[in-house]
Amino acid sequence: MLVVMSVFDDLVGQDTVIEQLRSAARAADGLLAGSGGAGMTHAWLFTGPPGSGRSEAARAFAAALQCPDGGCGHCSSCHQVFSGTHPDLLYVRPSGLSFGVDKTRDLVLRSASRPTGGRFRVVLFEDADRATEAASNALLKAVEEPSPRTIWLLCTPTAEDLLVTIRSRCRLVTLRTPTTRAVVDALVGRDGVAPDLAAEAARASAGHFERARALAGDPAARRRREEVLAIPARLDGLGACVTAAARLYELAEAEAKETTGALDEQEKADMRAAFGEGSTGKGVAKAVRGAAGALKDLDDQQKRRATRIKRDTYDLALMDLVAFYRDVLAIQLGARVELPTADRDADLRGVARSSTPEATLRRIDAIMECRRRIGANVHPQIAMEAMTAALYTG
Amino acid sequence: MKFRVERDVLADAVAWTARTLPVRPSVPVLAGMLLDAGEDDGRQRLRLSSFDYEVSAQVSVDIDVDEPGRTLVSGRLLAEIVRNLPPQAVEISTDGAKVVVSCGSAKFTLLTLPVEDYPTLPAMPELTGSVLSDAFAAAVSQVAVAAGRDDTLPMLTGVRVEIEGETVTLASTDRYRLAVRELTWTPQDPGVSAVALVPAKTLADTAKSLTSGAQVSIALSTAGSGEGMIGFEGGGRRTTTRLLDGDFPKYRALLPDSFNSVAEVQKSEFVEAVKRVSLVAERNTPLRLAFSDGRLVLEAGAGDEAQAVEVLDASLEGDDIQIAFNSTFLVDGLNAIESDIARLQFTTSTKPAIITGKPVDDGASDYRYLIMPVRLSS
Repeated sequence: MLVVMSVFDDLVGQDTVIEQLRSAARAADGLLAGSGGAGMTHAWLFTGPPGSGRSEAARAFAAALQCPDGGCGHCSSCHQVFSGTHPDLLYVRPSGLSFGVDKTRDLVLRSASRPTGGRFRVVLFEDADRATEAASNALLKAVEEPSPRTIWLLCTPTAEDLLVTIRSRCRLVTLRTPTTRAVVDALVGRDGVAPDLAAEAARASAGHFERARALAGDPAARRRREEVLAIPARLDGLGACVTAAARLYELAEAEAKETTGALDEQEKADMRAAFGEGSTGKGVAKAVRGAAGALKDLDDQQKRRATRIKRDTYDLALMDLVAFYRDVLAIQLGARVELPTADRDADLRGVARSSTPEATLRRIDAIMECRRRIGANVHPQIAMEAMTAALYTG
Repeated sequence: MKFRVERDVLADAVAWTARTLPVRPSVPVLAGMLLDAGEDDGRQRLRLSSFDYEVSAQVSVDIDVDEPGRTLVSGRLLAEIVRNLPPQAVEISTDGAKVVVSCGSAKFTLLTLPVEDYPTLPAMPELTGSVLSDAFAAAVSQVAVAAGRDDTLPMLTGVRVEIEGETVTLASTDRYRLAVRELTWTPQDPGVSAVALVPAKTLADTAKSLTSGAQVSIALSTAGSGEGMIGFEGGGRRTTTRLLDGDFPKYRALLPDSFNSVAEVQKSEFVEAVKRVSLVAERNTPLRLAFSDGRLVLEAGAGDEAQAVEVLDASLEGDDIQIAFNSTFLVDGLNAIESDIARLQFTTSTKPAIITGKPVDDGASDYRYLIMPVRLSS
């Protein structure tokens, strides 16, 4: 295990952003010391494609703002930011599909209080694009004119995902897709993954670091991906389409269940332990019963998150399919680019030969349409059947 | 970590600290209570702390330390265990990831929580001065009764604390009534001037819980330094509370200074009568009061509904007056005054009235409760 020297060490392939954030954190220090604090501002918007590490970057910045050493990575302040318990950090992770206006009002209220540690009150809002329109409007005033020591860090995939009125008040931090090289280095250097496996996972994930880490660390995830990528070559009739859709749905469900189950159990165990479970003697039972309310809250939150994780998992499978057809298109057009799905070379070439670039584009559109339908609450399996049929007809 | 402590001392300290534990912690470690045994000012002390991000509580007691250390355990469980211990010396020690509490023949093991994840407790702001604990608790409860409970108007859920030299003014309002109390205190710097908006419920609980020592020290960061905290300390217990932000209404302008009528009524009789008569008042229908020479007529209910009337003795100076109030707000105000005789001052039936106790030596009362009348149709 490497010794963490700075809170920014965990960001993969984001050197420009790190420099920007470091200098802002220095300016923030200046602000506290009473100078002008040029280079620092009260609202930041972290954008970047999935897997580029938006919230990781925002969290590192939050740690740098709270740490008297500009983000040393090993003081108690940095540790508390990373474990999510820092008293002056409001960590907002919308657990459901959307983030409502009531919760936003509560957030705005709490963001207005002054910091207890003498530095900053930082609000880190992951997936701020999940805020509903009413919620965004409630947020606007607070982002526009926060209390003197309050700093907003919002994360969205692209700047267009936020109301233009909020966007215009934020300084933009644009993360880029890390290069395959950077992902491989991080996997090998930090997680101790074997170089071959790391290279394969990095290429397959096309710059999505967390995905690469999951593929490298979990053989089951690799198997599921293989199975998804095998689908296009098997679509030789409507029967196969229906079977493939059913299988796709089943795979995503299984993956979601696995992710959710592990998370849920750990969180519940932590909460019960905080109320004294596992201790012995008279009074333990009574104290543990006190956890009922907290566990109920946690349960509701987990249910909302489960729905969201399912959606995210369907999306992951569908994006693997998109990657496949993108590679088909690259072959058809003779583009010399890295192919994330090069491990299915025979399939790629087979599909490329038997269809036209126009058909490939229509197929990609069909997958995107399927994502949109799932987002609009169509039953996923039905949406996937429609999609596989469209992939078959081309 | 290993130390010995008297059972009663420990039980008091743990029970007091446990009050601040959140019922539904947003992160699990907040359900923990921090135990820190070591030297403090040359004495062997145990510091117990709890924190819910808004309020922190810390109490320090004398112990015999064998081995200093810091650990985090489930706060409610510790409180439950300590409450039931036999009256003998208690020994607490860590054993790997466990904490062992033994007392006489009883022995408990508690699992520890990750102490490194526990948030850093806010530092106590600089000391500003001190006040008699009983007087402070009484003053706070007199004022907190008028604070708003509506979270959509956060600045009204607080008590405004204004410090000007030797005078502390407490005020709160929910837009229907306003309570103001002045008291004297001993500031460290006689020229001190500060204001703070403290959550009313927290302030009331804190003031009440610090009456074990004779004095309460109040620590408030002076305006502009951005600490945003107020701290209270008394009898080895200290708490900090995050302040509310926002502009408190300019209430001094609301307090009328001239009156057309002044009535005085025996307080306990008045409260009883209000409670009885308002039984027939539906929710939000007012209680009507008519003051004329020597008597007060209380009425509630109208038309087809049930009606109630009661007559009390009352002295009146100035014009006769008929006025209507929300009965709960009226009772709150009457209960908050310290004197046996309530003095009510009116301008007209549509302007706010002031309730005070009858001052002992005809000076100004240090507590004023302003109440808005309910407008009566016809």
